[in-house]
Amino acid sequence: MPALPVENVDGLIATGATARMTDDVAPRFRPGDRVRVRNINPTTHTRLPRYARGKMGTVEADRGVFCFNDTNAHGEGHKPQHVYGVRFAARDLWGEQAAARDTLYLDMFEDYIELHVA
Amino acid sequence: MNGVHDLGGMHGMGPINPEPNEPVFHAPWERTAFGLFITTFAGGHFNVDEFRHAIEKMDAAHYLESSYYAHWMHAVEDLLVQRGALTSAEIDGRMAQLAKEAA
Amino acid sequence: MPAPHTDDIALRVRAIESLLVEKGLVQPAALAAIVETYETKIGPHNGAQVVARAWTDPAFKARLLSDATAAIAELGFSGVQGEDMVVVENTPTVHNMVVCTLCSCYPWPTLGLPPNWYKSAPYRARAVIDPRGVLTEFGVELPPEKEVRVWDSNAELRYLVLPERPAGTEGMDAAALAALVSRDAMIGTGVATSSSGAAR
Repeated sequence: MPALPVENVDGLIATGATARMTDDVAPRFRPGDRVRVRNINPTTHTRLPRYARGKMGTVEADRGVFCFNDTNAHGEGHKPQHVYGVRFAARDLWGEQAAARDTLYLDMFEDYIELHVA
Repeated sequence: MNGVHDLGGMHGMGPINPEPNEPVFHAPWERTAFGLFITTFAGGHFNVDEFRHAIEKMDAAHYLESSYYAHWMHAVEDLLVQRGALTSAEIDGRMAQLAKEAA
Repeated sequence: MPAPHTDDIALRVRAIESLLVEKGLVQPAALAAIVETYETKIGPHNGAQVVARAWTDPAFKARLLSDATAAIAELGFSGVQGEDMVVVENTPTVHNMVVCTLCSCYPWPTLGLPPNWYKSAPYRARAVIDPRGVLTEFGVELPPEKEVRVWDSNAELRYLVLPERPAGTEGMDAAALAALVSRDAMIGTGVATSSSGAAR
């Protein structure tokens, strides 16, 4: 593997390495959808915090298509998929001790959530 | 993984204690650790997800007791050894040599 | 399995550095240039310029809130750990606060490298379950009718808070306003005031 040469440092820092992908993947969710976070407990890498598992939220924004961290950490490919900004009521996460108006937002890969059918 | 790194919502971690006028790095080795992460990442030795997972696999007690750049250095070393760029014997040998030179 | 211990971490880092240089895997000049960039060029003064511009240029603010990455790049800030930015706006009814509970994700191009407290277990643990308690610890008291929105940067989006422009700053230009924007105000653990400084 070649060493990073000093003349490439400024360009590297200014460009970075986006995890966004250009794959044309159809979104499974839309803003406004009520979703439930899947209760998964992989022994491998995941970006799904425990405190959100099994909780209900609302899709606020489609962030676009990104490389999936959970597979990319283990040489299992990019598995490109949509990521959604999902809003949770603080009380749905933490119960009555949370302030009634407060909210929390997480970015959810499609694999982390399922549509809630009322 | 359900690791100690997944801290959201835990109690008993103590006060936050922001440091006034905090420097970017707190010791010369932190500078080196940061630079080594960027250069080896840019060199293609690992991706950021492998890097984060290497930190998550640290011994849980050691994770909580050690600093951010110590976590980074653990992951860089772990991944470079795993990928064959370095061996643990080389590191031990070089540490012994540097310690002797400094004595 | 290699497990660096804190007692000899400085020695361990030096050993690994010297081996990697010897093997041609790390160029010392590149390492030095990276450190210098984050120690002297990139920091919260970048983000403060973005905020001041948004306060003084409504068209820029609109672009910032709809495509933050592109708007921030207009000011020359881009790249590592800011590849995909989202800016969230504080208003009279909403206060935003950013955390990364799983590691320490942080918008480097606009804020530089994160302070220790942001990376520490206490902040990461409590910011999500007790944001108002954390804000009190930072000297920020919010009325109960104001919504606190916590953004846990768990994926690859990076968040910057656009603080409310303080009252009494109507005559100030962007440069003077930027000096009022602290790092904490852009994380959301602080607010901008007519006398706050960029020191914290």
